[in-house]
Amino acid sequence: MYVVGCMEGDCHFNEGNFRARKRVEQAAKVLDKIGIGGDRVKMYNLSSGEGPLFAQYSTEMVNLVKKMGPSPVRLARQRMAKKADAA
Amino acid sequence: MIIAEKKPIEEIIQEVEAYDRILVLGCNECVTVCEAGGKKEVEVLASVLRMNFMAQGREKTIDERTLERQCDHEYLEEIRDVIDQYDAVISLACGVGVQFAAEKYMTTPVLPGVNTVCLGANEDRGLWTERCQACGTCVLARTGGICPVSRCAKRVLNGPCGGASNGKCEISKDTDCAWQLIIDRLKALGKMEDYEKVAPVKDWSTDRAGGPRTVTREDVKI
Repeated sequence: MYVVGCMEGDCHFNEGNFRARKRVEQAAKVLDKIGIGGDRVKMYNLSSGEGPLFAQYSTEMVNLVKKMGPSPVRLARQRMAKKADAA
Repeated sequence: MIIAEKKPIEEIIQEVEAYDRILVLGCNECVTVCEAGGKKEVEVLASVLRMNFMAQGREKTIDERTLERQCDHEYLEEIRDVIDQYDAVISLACGVGVQFAAEKYMTTPVLPGVNTVCLGANEDRGLWTERCQACGTCVLARTGGICPVSRCAKRVLNGPCGGASNGKCEISKDTDCAWQLIIDRLKALGKMEDYEKVAPVKDWSTDRAGGPRTVTREDVKI
C-alpha cells in the first residue's frame, strides 16, 4: 500500500501530510516487527499536477511488491483455504 | 491526566500467545488523549495481532471494544454479558483500569497493553511531561504553582539544593531546577515573601510512602 500526499509545505490541511508520514512510518515499523515487511507501506509526496511522477511511483511500488512476493497473511489464508477444501 | 505508553508489540504478543479468544479493551479517557489506548489504538493493535497470528497460520478471535472508562463500575459492567466469550482481555487502560477490570472479572485474565508512566500534561504535540506525583498534601499555593515534589529530584521543600547550576538540576543539564522555576514564578507574581517562609515538615503519610491511599467522602456516600 502506498499513501500519496501533497508536497511538504503545500498541504491544504497544513500539517496533514506530515502527520500521515508519521503514521505510515509507524505502520511500517509495526509490520516489520511482526514479519509482514515494512516496505509494503510507503508514502510519497507530489502535487496533483504531476501525473507522470505518480505513474513512476506506482510502477516503483508494484515492482517492489512483486519482488517481496505475497504477504505472509495472504499465503497463510491460501493454505488454510486449501486445507478446508481438502477436508 | 494519566500518561501511558503503548507496550512493545512483541511483549503483547507473548502475553496473549496462549489464548485463542481475545478482547482488546480500550479506554476513552486519559489513554485516548495521550494516544496510547483509545479506540484508534485498539483498532491498530487488534489488526496487528490478527495479522501476526494469521501469518503463522493460527486463527484467533480478536475483538475490539472501547469503554468510556475502566475505573468505574458502571462502564466495566457493559462487558459483563460478553466477557465469558473470551479467554483473555488486553486492557489498554492505565494500571487503574487493568486492575479494576481484573477485580471485576476474576475468572478472565486481564493483561496490560500499556505501561502507565505518570500524571502529566501535554506540553506539545507528542510530548507529555510529569507534573504531579499525587503526594496527597498539595503545596502548590506556596510555590507559585510549580511542584517541588514531582519536579525536584530530591523533593526538597526549601530549595534549591547546592547542586543546581545555571537553573539546571545536577541530575541532568536537560532538567530544569524546580526551585529555579519556583523562584522565577514567585518573582513574576510579586510573591517572593512566600519564598522567605520556611516550609514546615511535610506530612508524607499521605504520599505513597504511607501505603495505598483511600479517599472517602461521607458527604457523597449514601
